[in-house]
Amino acid sequence: MLTKRIIPCLDVKNGKVVKGINFKGLRDVGYPPEMAANYEMQGADEITFLDITASLETRQTMLDIVSETAGKLFVPLTVGGGIRSVDDMRDALNAGADKVSVNSAAVKNPQIVSECAESFGRQCVVVAIDGKRVDDHWEVFTHGGTRSTGIDAVEWAKKVEDLGAGEILLTSMDTDGVKNGYDIPLTAAVADEVNIPVIASGGCGCKEHIYDVFSQTGASAALAASIFHYNECTVGEVKEYLRDRGIVVR
Amino acid sequence: MPLRVTLTDYGVGNLYSIRRSLENCGAEVTTVKDMKDVLDAECIVFPGVGAFDKTMEKLQPYREEIREKLLTGTPALGICIGMQIMYGSSAEGTTPGLGLFDGDVVPLVGKVIPHMGWNQVVSNDALMDGVEDNNFYFAHSYRGNPSEDITIGRTEYEGTEIPTFFRKANTYGTQFHPEKSSKSGMAFLRNFIAFAESVL
Repeated sequence: MLTKRIIPCLDVKNGKVVKGINFKGLRDVGYPPEMAANYEMQGADEITFLDITASLETRQTMLDIVSETAGKLFVPLTVGGGIRSVDDMRDALNAGADKVSVNSAAVKNPQIVSECAESFGRQCVVVAIDGKRVDDHWEVFTHGGTRSTGIDAVEWAKKVEDLGAGEILLTSMDTDGVKNGYDIPLTAAVADEVNIPVIASGGCGCKEHIYDVFSQTGASAALAASIFHYNECTVGEVKEYLRDRGIVVR
Repeated sequence: MPLRVTLTDYGVGNLYSIRRSLENCGAEVTTVKDMKDVLDAECIVFPGVGAFDKTMEKLQPYREEIREKLLTGTPALGICIGMQIMYGSSAEGTTPGLGLFDGDVVPLVGKVIPHMGWNQVVSNDALMDGVEDNNFYFAHSYRGNPSEDITIGRTEYEGTEIPTFFRKANTYGTQFHPEKSSKSGMAFLRNFIAFAESVL
């Protein structure tokens, strides 16, 4: 049967992996190609890169790092951050990415999702959704969680599926960076409504949180950063923990 | 002398990882954009990028000759879409495939589509010799549906067993991506290269 995926996420700024506490005090934690190769050795099922600066000046730096990382990896690599057009997506794929994630650009121009899916196949189009609870529902936020859109996150997830997204990377703005666990209600709500894989993201502080999101929601994969970056546990330890509790992993 | 592998570049998607994987396993890889060059190949790898019609577009003028070449024993490997084009047609497109495999390509049925991630390939084929973990990486919404006895490996997805590994003559087809399947994929590709060398 299909196994649940564990995806270490590397937030990349100016060619370095960084980790911040509540988006402040960013600190370098390593060099992307080395960290990615190390995670593959630990048993990571995929690697995700997010360019958190994503300015035009750093774009080539990012593509160079993608190429160098892809040259060391034999597991899939997803690249996101600042993807604004089909050409941006092509550049990332040509640099060695297997999948590319779009976020703000898809909200601004939903057609980019279908154009990318038609050009490259839906299996390489990931739509990243940042959701935040507002009153009795979740709203989509863009631009790194700074801009409210008024769009319902669950409805948006269904729409991008119709447009041709192959996968949804779902981050909760409420739990991200807090390390108190994934947003179970949001993840469950989206995974129940769509028929494409959902990657849960935001809030992982320990391996128990990964168990919780797999046992309580329909998420296909869990993304985590700091627990791996700070050697709180290895991918292998997470998998052993999950396996012991009946979650099927590679 | 290393095995000379001809890798087909249909002009969609990156061939970086498959090329590097094959080289890592000891092959000498030549990427060709003109599909006529496939006809002189010692061994062919059809990579797994793009959609059915786009992939077949460039192969179409040489369809008969390529099929004949494969039928008469040239070792080859088709990965994902590169496997699906071995069939005569696909629900994903309108262009005919190479027609080496009897049958067609049909939509995958399930609650969650694409089938994305690592899943087990159950096979006794020699290409699996020494593969310690039979989990391989998948990313697809369509699957091969053979009408002849060419299935050599299967995978369970959402309670249904689907054929994911095929062989006819010396052509292998995989729905999974060995080039994305870490150590298991490398062991598999090394076995394929040894196989190709053995039939030359």
